[in-house]
Amino acid sequence: MKSELELRGVQQRFHARGVADGYITAVDDVSFSLAASPPQIVSLVGQSGSGKSTIARNVLGLQKPTAGSVLYGGKDIFKLNRAEYDEYRRDVQPVFQDPYAIFNPFYRVDRVLWKAVKKFKLASTREAGLTLIEESLRAVRLEPENVLGRYPHQLSGGQRQRIMLARVHMLRPSFIIADEPVSMLDAQVRKHFLDILLDFQTEHGMTTLFITHDLSTVYYLGGEVMVITKGQIVERGPVSTVMHEPSHPYTKLLLDSIPQPDPDQRWTSRIAVDELDDLEETDAQAAPAPEAPIL
Amino acid sequence: MTMRILTAVLRTIRNSRRLAIGLLILGVMVLLALFSPLIVNAIGGGKDPIEVAAYEKWLVPGPGHLLGTDQFGRDVFAMVVKALSVSLQIGAIAGIISTVVGVIVAFVAGYKGGWIDGILSTFTGILLVIPTFPLLIALSAYAKNVTLFQVGVMISIFAWPFAAKTIRSQVLSLRTRPYVDLARVSKARDLEIIVTELLPNLLPFIGVGFASSALGAIFGLVGLEVIGLGPGGVVDLGQIIFNAITTGALTLGAWPMFVVPIVLLTLLFAALNMVNIGLEEVYNPRLRGVAGE
Ligand SMILES: Nc1ncnc2c1ncn2[C@@H]1O[C@H](COP(=O)(O)OP(=O)(O)OP(=O)(O)O)[C@@H](O)[C@H]1O
Ligand SMILES: [Mg+2]
Repeated sequence: MKSELELRGVQQRFHARGVADGYITAVDDVSFSLAASPPQIVSLVGQSGSGKSTIARNVLGLQKPTAGSVLYGGKDIFKLNRAEYDEYRRDVQPVFQDPYAIFNPFYRVDRVLWKAVKKFKLASTREAGLTLIEESLRAVRLEPENVLGRYPHQLSGGQRQRIMLARVHMLRPSFIIADEPVSMLDAQVRKHFLDILLDFQTEHGMTTLFITHDLSTVYYLGGEVMVITKGQIVERGPVSTVMHEPSHPYTKLLLDSIPQPDPDQRWTSRIAVDELDDLEETDAQAAPAPEAPIL
Repeated sequence: MTMRILTAVLRTIRNSRRLAIGLLILGVMVLLALFSPLIVNAIGGGKDPIEVAAYEKWLVPGPGHLLGTDQFGRDVFAMVVKALSVSLQIGAIAGIISTVVGVIVAFVAGYKGGWIDGILSTFTGILLVIPTFPLLIALSAYAKNVTLFQVGVMISIFAWPFAAKTIRSQVLSLRTRPYVDLARVSKARDLEIIVTELLPNLLPFIGVGFASSALGAIFGLVGLEVIGLGPGGVVDLGQIIFNAITTGALTLGAWPMFVVPIVLLTLLFAALNMVNIGLEEVYNPRLRGVAGE
């Protein structure tokens, strides 16, 4: 297994109507790397529309960036040969946000797991495949008899999302790209899910890129955090450092916007979008003036 | 997979009375058409009842000839049964050709996107705005002695863009579904994704495409027959109507020659439209679920 996943100057533009120059830049010159060992959890936080999902799609090879490159084991993922591509696919796997839409309503949920078995040749016989599937379902604390043979609409969101985790458990990738995997789950199921991810890190050595807009999950997971705003990563560091000594004004704003569970400390300061825009302006002023000609 | 499609189809039918009635009427007509050789034989009792001068001309409806005979002494009931099967055949031929072409074009355009979609959509758009019937008349007038199959192909040329248009927009909406992304990271190929992930969810739209093309073809042929430009050697419902009009059958008391084909065509029209509306009714509001209850 290759040990590194790296983004180098990734830029993703989309054509858009009603925008000044006819396109929007969803991801703007993003560079970072994820190491497979030691296994780690790196969270990517940012508000809605900041480009998080787009980065996930770039990393998963679902969307080719308009500039820059995504490297797996030092090679551009869009230029891999057959064998390298197979390895990359096996080694970098997603958990998506919406546990409903991830299943094709036409099929039983088993199909997703069997597809993994067959496509990645995880088992040579049907019995071996089934054993593997049951083992992985138990690993994510699902009873196989409660989920196998069911259609997606017959399972809860938490169950469905854990089936996706079982799929990851079967494939044992070095990297999990989790795009807001818990945003549609309730608090208890959410904790359950995060614990499984932490298990995967310690027991199976998986590195997770955890995308979220919720700082409390970032706290819970620990590890490192990257802060993204308007398509740019503005800060990266250990969770404790970034949370206590944020260096970028946007991170401070983000931290201020966490509701406090303490009733004496009411959540008074509302963070509105216009405040973010103000920030943008002060930011622009603070930034060094564009290359003034030196005479 | 086949079982799955079958149960999905059954569930769909249960969900819409209109669809069920439409299919029932169609089913009866198809049966009638399938058994038309037997029925015609039974009526003839040994000889061909739709041979010229098989019986006396212009017999009024009665026990011997339920719907009477026409200007050549042919049994109208036998003719109608045979014509129904011809009309259904043209519907099936054109329906299948246009649906297959439409589905292929729609999937290629919708799934591949980009310039391929641009070219295909422009081409489809052009065909959609061409006035079909005058062109069809010109084609038939030019090509004398066309067979039924050839007419079917000719009609399909103009019918497939309709199927392509509806299905393409559905492909566009389905191809960005997360389950398509999941299939892609599971190393599924484009064709595999189209066939196993998208196609099953599009069955209702394909059904609509088929029903509308079949309907268009049946009435296209009727139109051609009524103005005397149909294919040679076959009698469809339109041709019987054409005969009734040109011979003034109504004034001779041979009203069934005019009325019965029209009633059958109306029923066919109603049935196919009920299938259409029924399918859209079940699927349009929530595209999501062939399986989604
Ligand atoms: N396929 C696309 N075509 C056009 N614009 C897109 C496309 N995908 C994303 N965008 C735009 O790119 C920007 C970033 O979107 P993205 O989905 O990456 O945000 P996000 O950070 O994941 O937001 P959220 O927290 O709401 O999921 C948005 O302005 C979005 O409208
Ligand atoms: Mg997102």
